[in-house]
Amino acid sequence: MIGVLGQINPGLLLVLVGFAGCLIPAQRVRQAIMVAAPVVALLLLTLAERGTDLSVVSVLSIDMILYRVDSLSFIFALAFLIASFLNAIYALHTDDRLHDGMALAYAGAAVAATLAGDLMTLFIFWEITAVSSVFLILRAGTKAAYQAAMRYLGVQIFSGVLLLDGLAYVYKSTGSLTLEAFTSFDQPGAKFVFAAFAIKAAFPFLLKWLQDSYPKATVVGAVVLSAFTTKLAIYAFARMFPGFELLIWIGAVMTVFPVFFAVIENDLRKVLSYSLNNQLGFMICAIGIGTPLAINGAAAHAFAHIIYKGLLFMSMGAVLYRVGTAKASELGGLYKSMPWTTIFCIIGAVSISAFPLFSGFVAKSMTMSAVAYEGYVIVWAMLLFASAGVLEHSGIKIPYFTFFGHDSGIRVKEAPFNMLLAMGIAAFICIAIGLPTIGGFGYGWLYSMLQCTVTAPADVCLMSGDEIKPYKPYTADHILTQMQLLMFALLAFILLKRFGLYPPERPGTILDTDWLYRKPGYNMVKWAGNVWGKAGPAMTATFADLGARAFEKIETTFSPRGALARGALTISMAMWSAVLLGIVMLVVLLA
Amino acid sequence: MNQPPERDSSGRFVKPEVETPLPGDETMHPMSRLLFGWVSSPRVPILILIVVVTTCIGLLLLDFGLERHEKVEMANANGFYALWGFAAFGLAVLSGWPLGRLLRRDEDYYGEADTKPDDVEHGS
Repeated sequence: MIGVLGQINPGLLLVLVGFAGCLIPAQRVRQAIMVAAPVVALLLLTLAERGTDLSVVSVLSIDMILYRVDSLSFIFALAFLIASFLNAIYALHTDDRLHDGMALAYAGAAVAATLAGDLMTLFIFWEITAVSSVFLILRAGTKAAYQAAMRYLGVQIFSGVLLLDGLAYVYKSTGSLTLEAFTSFDQPGAKFVFAAFAIKAAFPFLLKWLQDSYPKATVVGAVVLSAFTTKLAIYAFARMFPGFELLIWIGAVMTVFPVFFAVIENDLRKVLSYSLNNQLGFMICAIGIGTPLAINGAAAHAFAHIIYKGLLFMSMGAVLYRVGTAKASELGGLYKSMPWTTIFCIIGAVSISAFPLFSGFVAKSMTMSAVAYEGYVIVWAMLLFASAGVLEHSGIKIPYFTFFGHDSGIRVKEAPFNMLLAMGIAAFICIAIGLPTIGGFGYGWLYSMLQCTVTAPADVCLMSGDEIKPYKPYTADHILTQMQLLMFALLAFILLKRFGLYPPERPGTILDTDWLYRKPGYNMVKWAGNVWGKAGPAMTATFADLGARAFEKIETTFSPRGALARGALTISMAMWSAVLLGIVMLVVLLA
Repeated sequence: MNQPPERDSSGRFVKPEVETPLPGDETMHPMSRLLFGWVSSPRVPILILIVVVTTCIGLLLLDFGLERHEKVEMANANGFYALWGFAAFGLAVLSGWPLGRLLRRDEDYYGEADTKPDDVEHGS
C-alpha cells in the first residue's frame, strides 16, 4: 500500500483536487479540502523513494517520467507544498471557488513540474501553471487586472511555446527527453529552453510581466503567485543550466536594477515584486557559478525566499484587505491597529534583509561565499550592493511606511485570524531555519535537505572549491561583516530621513521597460491599424478603378465590337498565326 | 465644498494632507499599546539614533580586533562592509530623486489607476 502511495505524484494530486475544487459550492467543505490536500501531498512526498523513476507512462513512443524525486527537486517541492498549505489558510476568509481551486491547481502544477523526470512532463505542467495562475489576477475584477492578466497569459504561453520548440530539437537530436543538464548553448534546443526559462524567471528587460501582474492580482492571489512560477524557473535553471557563466552576469544585473525602481515605487505590492526580482538574481547568479556550494545556496535561498517573501506579501495583503490600498503615500501608523501584522511583517523584513538568527542569513550567505570563492569580485561587489538595497526596499521601506512613519490616521481592525495564523506559521519558519542548530531547529534542518555531491554526513556535504568541508554560516567573521553592512545601511537611512534627503512617497506610475511595448509599441500597432483603416478602402477604390479601365480598354480592342474585329479579320488572324509560328520555330531551333 | 487637488513643485497632483485631527490613543489596539506604546514618544527618534550609532561604533571596534580571512582581498580592510553598506544604501536612496523626476508619471498614465481588487474588505 505504501509502495503504491509512494508512486503518486503529489503535484498531480493537487492539480486534480484543485480542478475538482472549482465545482464544490460549499465553502467550508471546499476549504477543508484545500487545506488538507497539501498535507496529504506532503506525506506522499516523504514516502517517495529517491533517485528512481516512480511513475512512467509511454505516449506516442515517448517515455514520460511523471514522478522522480531527488534532493534538488525534493527541497523545491517541499517549499511549494508548505507555501500551498499556508496559502490555503490565508484564503479561508474568502468564498471564491474558482479562485480557491485554481490556486491549488497552480501550486500542484508547480510541484508536479518540479517532480517531473522529462522535458515533456515538465512542459505540460509548465503550461498548467500558466493557465491556472491567470485566474488569480483576473479575479481581482478591475480593468487593470484584466489587461495585466492578458499580457501575463500571452507571456507565459510564449514561454511554453519556446520550451516546446526546445524539447522538439532535443528529442530530434538525442531521441530522449530526460532532464539532462545542457553543457553548451550549441546543443540543439538549448537556446530555446534557456529563453523559455528566462522569461519565466523574469530576467531583466524581458517583458516585465512580474511587476506588471502581481500587484494587480487579488489579495490572496498575489501571495500565491509570489511562491511558484519564478521559483519553478529557478529549479529548471538549476536542473538544466548549472555552471553557465552567462547566468552569473544576468543574475548580478538582476539583483541590482530592481533596487533603484523599488526606491521610487509607491505601490508596496509592486515594491515587493521588484524585491522578488532582486532575490531571484541571487539564485540565478548562484546557478551560474554552478559549484555544489552555489547550487546548495540557490536551493536554500529559494526555500527561505518562498516563505519570507510569502510572509511579506501576506502582510501587505492584510493591509490591502483592511485599508483598501497598499500605497505608501496613503499608509502609515498602522502599528496602532494591526500589531500582529506589524510584528509578522517585521520578521519577514528582517529575514529577507539577512539579519543573523533569521532565514535569509543562512541561505543567502552561501551564494555570496560561492561567488567570492570563484573569484568574481565585480559580481560579488554587485551582490553586496544589492544586499544593502534589499534592506532599503524590503527591510525598511515596507514596514516603515506602512506601519510607522507618518500617521495616516487610518484605524482599522486587525487582519482576520486565518491571515494571522498563516503569517504566524510563516514567521515561525523564518526564525526556525535561521537559528543556529539547537534541538532539531535551526539551519541544520534546511542544510540537511540540500543536494549532496560527496559522501559525507548530510549536513556537511557542502563544498567550496576543491576543499570539502562543511559550510558554517555562524562564524564571527560572517556575523560581524553582515551586521556591519546592515547597521551602517540602517544608519544611512536614519540620517537621510533626519536631513530630509529621503525621497518622499508620491503617487504615480513609474515607467519601466514595459513602457516600450505598452506605449510606443501599442501606439505603433494602433497607428498601423489606423493607416490600414484609411489606406485599405482607398487602395480598393484605386484598384477597382484601374481594373475597370483595363477591362474597358481590352473590351474596346478585342471584343466583337473592338478595333481588332473591324474588317480584314481573316487576313489579320492568318498573319498573326504565321508570326507566332515563326517565333515558336525560332525558339525551337535556338534551344 | 471639495478643494481642488494640490500640485507639487513639478506641477503633478499630490494627495492633500489629512486635515482632520488624528484619532487618540484610545482607538489603539491593546496589543499595540503593549508592544509599541513607546514608539510615539518624541524621544524615540533620537534614542534610536543613539543606539544605532553606538552599535555601529561597537561593530567597527570589533572589526579592528578580529583578523578576517576574506576571499576578496579588498574586503579584508577594516570597516569595508560598514563603508560599503552606508555608501550603497545612500546611493540607492539618493538616486530616487533624479529617477523619480525622470520616470514618474501620472497614476492613470496607462489608464489603470484603479488597482483595488474585489476581494478587499470594502471592495467594489
